[in-house]
Amino acid sequence: MSTENKSLITPANIITVIILAMGLVITFLRFTKGLGTVTNLDQNNPWGIWIGFDLLCGVALAAGGYTTSTACYIFGLKKYHSAVRPAILTAFLGYALVVFALHYDVGRPYRLVYPIFVQPGTTSFLYEVGLCVFLYVTVLAIEFSPAMFEWLGMKNLRDKITKLTIALTVMGVVLSTLHQSSLGALYIAVPSKIHPLWYSPYLAILFFVSSIPAGLSMVIFEGTLAHKPWHHMMDQTHKDEHDGVILGFARGASISLAAYFCVKLVAVAYDNNWHYLATGWGAWWLLEVLGFVALPSLLYAIGSREKNIPLIKWAAAMTVVGIILNRLNVSVVAFNWQLPASQRYFPSFMEIMLSIFVVTVGVTVYRFIVSRMPIFFEHPDYKDAH
Amino acid sequence: MEYYVYHDFMLHTKSITYILMGLFVLGFWGLWAFMTSRDEEIHKFPEHDKE
Repeated sequence: MSTENKSLITPANIITVIILAMGLVITFLRFTKGLGTVTNLDQNNPWGIWIGFDLLCGVALAAGGYTTSTACYIFGLKKYHSAVRPAILTAFLGYALVVFALHYDVGRPYRLVYPIFVQPGTTSFLYEVGLCVFLYVTVLAIEFSPAMFEWLGMKNLRDKITKLTIALTVMGVVLSTLHQSSLGALYIAVPSKIHPLWYSPYLAILFFVSSIPAGLSMVIFEGTLAHKPWHHMMDQTHKDEHDGVILGFARGASISLAAYFCVKLVAVAYDNNWHYLATGWGAWWLLEVLGFVALPSLLYAIGSREKNIPLIKWAAAMTVVGIILNRLNVSVVAFNWQLPASQRYFPSFMEIMLSIFVVTVGVTVYRFIVSRMPIFFEHPDYKDAH
Repeated sequence: MEYYVYHDFMLHTKSITYILMGLFVLGFWGLWAFMTSRDEEIHKFPEHDKE
């Protein structure tokens, strides 16, 4: 591993500091002057991009944690073991940031525990989502902790936690299945507000099924982004297994994207909404479904067959864009589609900046962790401990 | 298309869905066959190959 000292004043660090500073100013304004000062939210549009992007996309793209650990520990595909820690870290940071970003929307952070411990609304989907996210963040923190304990040299604690791996993986799958689908189910309550091409009684199934390729693609995408800057931190096992992980995940992503495509078509057939495809909204829906679901599924299949790694990486990037597009379509673009343009929602500059701030916080913490803890390499004291 | 009773609507949409499901099964078979067509054959019982 490289131990050379680099200057902290780099273009990336300067941009990071500027974004973090702007985020802190918006944070101050949000918690002192209220939502109205920093957002374009109103009575028609109470949920904006902080829910549509930070929460819905954050949760979907963090699905790599449960998909990768399930492949490795439940299905016994140990050849994917080197991908587990980066995937768990991404998932943990993703969910932690979802909770962090939720504070901005909900306000009064000191009351975050109220829905769980003080006033649980047990008949609400929102309660179910809150409970699952609360439990799953805890599970992910425990799943991630062995890397931290190895870094800190706390051998006993690390050994005790690793004995819980299977139980934690099972809990991760159960909790993810529940809240990934419940996030979609939240929108079943507003059939008259979402455009019929995006509204479906199957929204819960659509959200859950799409989270699987989202998670697999995010592992490939994040691995691609991390490969160059942290190449010196990766051990030989990680490098050797890299192509195998990409080829295996490409196959899983292709099949799960095809399944998602099928459910999308069934959702249209179920309500006989075919005639909407000939409208402008239909063109937008076709772009999402053909361009960012069917096409990446096909590209994954071709890439997997031809062992074409760059093509698979492009398919992963397209899938990530497609999932973000879908979540934003359901929660923002196709939401309140019948309202006149003057009453439609468009995020304010400060809303967009805060979402960039949240992502930047995640990237900064990710950089801090992978530069220090055994994420891309096995700690010398625990070689062959798996 | 006109629907006079709910049954007409259900019959129409369900019929299309069943046709789609059949096409999906064929599509999945095709996708899997395409993806795995260049895989090396897995020899689970190599001793039988020698005979």
